[in-house]
Amino acid sequence: MNSATLFKLSDIRFSYNSEQLFDGFNLLISQGEKVVIMGESGSGKTTLFRLLLGFESPDSGSISFKGSGYTDKIIRSMRKEVVWLPQDLNLGAGKTGELMDFIFEFQLNSQSKPSRPEIIDTLEALGLEAGTLDSTFSELSTGQRQRVGLACCLLLDRKVILLDEPTSALDLESKRKVAELLLNNKRTVISTSHDPWWVDKCDRVIELNNLF
Amino acid sequence: MDIIDLSWWQLGIGFFILIIPALILWRYKTGLNKKLGIATVRMTLQLLFVGYYLEYLFELDNAWLNAAWIMVMVLVADFATIDRSELNRKRSLVIPIFLATFFGIIVIDMFFLEAVIQLPTFLSAQYTIPITGMVLGNCLRSNVIGINAFYHSLNEHKERYRFYLCCGATRNEAVFPFFRDALKKSANPTLASMATIGLVSLPGMMTGQILSGSSPLIAIKYQIMIMLAIFSGTVLSVYLGIRLSNYFVFDERDVLDSSILKK
Repeated sequence: MNSATLFKLSDIRFSYNSEQLFDGFNLLISQGEKVVIMGESGSGKTTLFRLLLGFESPDSGSISFKGSGYTDKIIRSMRKEVVWLPQDLNLGAGKTGELMDFIFEFQLNSQSKPSRPEIIDTLEALGLEAGTLDSTFSELSTGQRQRVGLACCLLLDRKVILLDEPTSALDLESKRKVAELLLNNKRTVISTSHDPWWVDKCDRVIELNNLF
Repeated sequence: MDIIDLSWWQLGIGFFILIIPALILWRYKTGLNKKLGIATVRMTLQLLFVGYYLEYLFELDNAWLNAAWIMVMVLVADFATIDRSELNRKRSLVIPIFLATFFGIIVIDMFFLEAVIQLPTFLSAQYTIPITGMVLGNCLRSNVIGINAFYHSLNEHKERYRFYLCCGATRNEAVFPFFRDALKKSANPTLASMATIGLVSLPGMMTGQILSGSSPLIAIKYQIMIMLAIFSGTVLSVYLGIRLSNYFVFDERDVLDSSILKK
């Protein structure tokens, strides 16, 4: 196996509610790749993320991370190296700044907890104002919440980022900023998208509909 | 002053007052009258049984028998907590919630009965049974609110929980906001009743003591003690209930076993 291989899915079979979503599915994602997964609604894009993140187990087949087959231990250590952003992030009730701080207080992140100016710089780079931190999270627009989530991903500074429809609620200017911050570096970015603009910016497209 | 005993006829007359709420519920087509009938019959039969049983329990006043009765109460509370929390009676919940309620009650009973009141006889029925019953009844109510809030909210917002895990959180860190909200929801009703007690309502234990001839000052001392016991017992049992059940309802990949939730 190539040493730069990050995720490898071999002969995956998975059904959900008696519907066969994957039947002999194979996928190889290398480190540093910018991969976008496309497919119709219900084609298994979100399920693929759940499989990669270890929240679902395939009926058969194997998944590996950096050459190690998935076990409980590998999944837990994999989650420490990646960050995943759902499409419609809900951080619950409270001020945005406090909800973001909660994430940086996890033991794993506490050593690299960003300063207030660093958080503000990242928000501003994504087109949000510093005052967003004092706003109630649930009162932000979908696009603002999405950018707060992206700011968390950037501040956590993981080498692997999984994004579910990252541009679905963003205007063109915001999309440009997000693409510049996320795609112009050595990170591995795996995303799902219906957005031709975002798809065009990624290295490789995986069409789920045509896989089997 | 001796208490006025109620004859069975007098008690029977008391039931006639139910005609008023039954008519209101019927008029507005709430569909609750069948439930009212069942609840009234159950309440009457259960209390009649307990009344006769407690007569014997008080007469024998045996610590082992009293402890056994507490175990029965805890077991019933355990199943009632799970059912009313809209969860399934799975071993992964029945055992931890039983242990949580049991330890919660043991701590409160030992502290208040043996250290504060200093009963002359260990687990004396006259004090142990009513105080344990009051604390347990409130633990049940709080457990239902807290455990229901925790697991149903976690299931409803599983994307948020998973997002935290994928931001590097341990399971305990990822469930923290859900745990905090469950504790707040379960503690709030008791806190509200503590804040208004005596002004808005005269609580049952105090009323019972005054009716049976105790001085109001003795009654309020017991009432203050029982409120402290109820609040401490409810927070402790909700905390232990969630904490202990967490060891059994997540797999090694920190995924919640959704089969514990009633669909």
